[in-house]
Amino acid sequence: MKFDFSRRKMLGVFGGALAGLLSAPAARAAKATVQKVFASSGAPNGYDPYKHKWLMCFDVDKCIGCGLCVDACKKENHVPEAAHYFRTWIERYIIKKPKPGSDRLRGEVLVDSPNGGRDGFPPTSVPREEILKSFFVPKLCNLCEASPCTQVCPVGATFDTPDGAVLVDPNYCIGCGFCIQACPYGCRFLNPETKTAEKCNLCYHRITRGLKPACVEVCPTEARIFGDLKNPVENDPIQTFIAKNKVFSLKPHLGTEPRTLYANLDKEVR
Amino acid sequence: MGLLKMPPQIFRLVLLTIGIVVSYFIARQLLTPASFRDYGFYRGAALEEVASRTPVFAGRKSCLECHEIIQTQLFKGEHKTIGCESCHGPSSAHVADPDSDGKKPDKRNTLACSRCHEANPSRPVTQKQINIKNHYAGQKCTECHVPHQPNEVP
Repeated sequence: MKFDFSRRKMLGVFGGALAGLLSAPAARAAKATVQKVFASSGAPNGYDPYKHKWLMCFDVDKCIGCGLCVDACKKENHVPEAAHYFRTWIERYIIKKPKPGSDRLRGEVLVDSPNGGRDGFPPTSVPREEILKSFFVPKLCNLCEASPCTQVCPVGATFDTPDGAVLVDPNYCIGCGFCIQACPYGCRFLNPETKTAEKCNLCYHRITRGLKPACVEVCPTEARIFGDLKNPVENDPIQTFIAKNKVFSLKPHLGTEPRTLYANLDKEVR
Repeated sequence: MGLLKMPPQIFRLVLLTIGIVVSYFIARQLLTPASFRDYGFYRGAALEEVASRTPVFAGRKSCLECHEIIQTQLFKGEHKTIGCESCHGPSSAHVADPDSDGKKPDKRNTLACSRCHEANPSRPVTQKQINIKNHYAGQKCTECHVPHQPNEVP
């Protein structure tokens, strides 16, 4: 190959390159306008993620296992109907009495969650006199400060927002499932319709409009407490809850620093 | 023109390098979403997109805007902590169009009572529980209890 190094030719080449460079910002601006048009028009205006920090707390002693939260979550977020897709669910812990003569504190621990607790809990087959204690534990995304799920995403489709939610961007999610394996609390699943990862997003479309998440809205016993750390209201439910209870988080040894807090949690809850 | 006197193979390499670098920057400009790094190392517009969904549950405040009498009844009794939509079901369609009969939320039924009050050893002892089979079987709950005022007798 032989190059023609004439002045005319070189000027042409460099001029073309310069024009290309200059046209890039213009193309980007055009692309931004296109994205703006496609971006949802119904989004709430004036919501600033930097001015909020959402937090969810649970009082295990207040949960009656009615399953209204699970049902509301499925309806609110159009979670697939099949029995094993949940953004929030309730677990029933039944701790049996130790066998007579054993030196154990407690016997067998049974955990079940039929249909995530959506239809309530059927009576247990364990006879009442064998039960040492039993309780319900509501579960959802633990809103980790050091979230393992967002660290493993290869395409940046899941992330921590400044207001404390962990969201999935369904347009960028490739459905590889790394985040589902990374979550130590089992809070994620692959939506069979969209083939993208899905999880509790704290009802982000509700909290940005000033509403409570659907599960908190329908909880009849105030076992779920939701609030904003940056904008405490009078008699703030979160502040009162933390002041009145000894709170604990799930699997603290994993260093995920969950921001969902549980009161009256038993050692057996994982 | 010392620059142009460099050996042709080196010049070709220089051209190639410049080409690669320039095309990298052009590609980066075009492929990076406009809102990237708005909040962090992700597409900021995703927040708005996730938030743009329409709520299905309208929230207690919207219910009480019209149903004030219920509010005064409800807040006296033990059922004051219960949201309207816990029993009556999601009602944002009804809030958006209150006059349309087809969009009114479900009527509650006996099942709704038993959902919280059926006896279950896992429930906290503070929760009032009954064995629905032995508790005046065949009668409707509402014959003796008022859901909005559980402390009152009808």
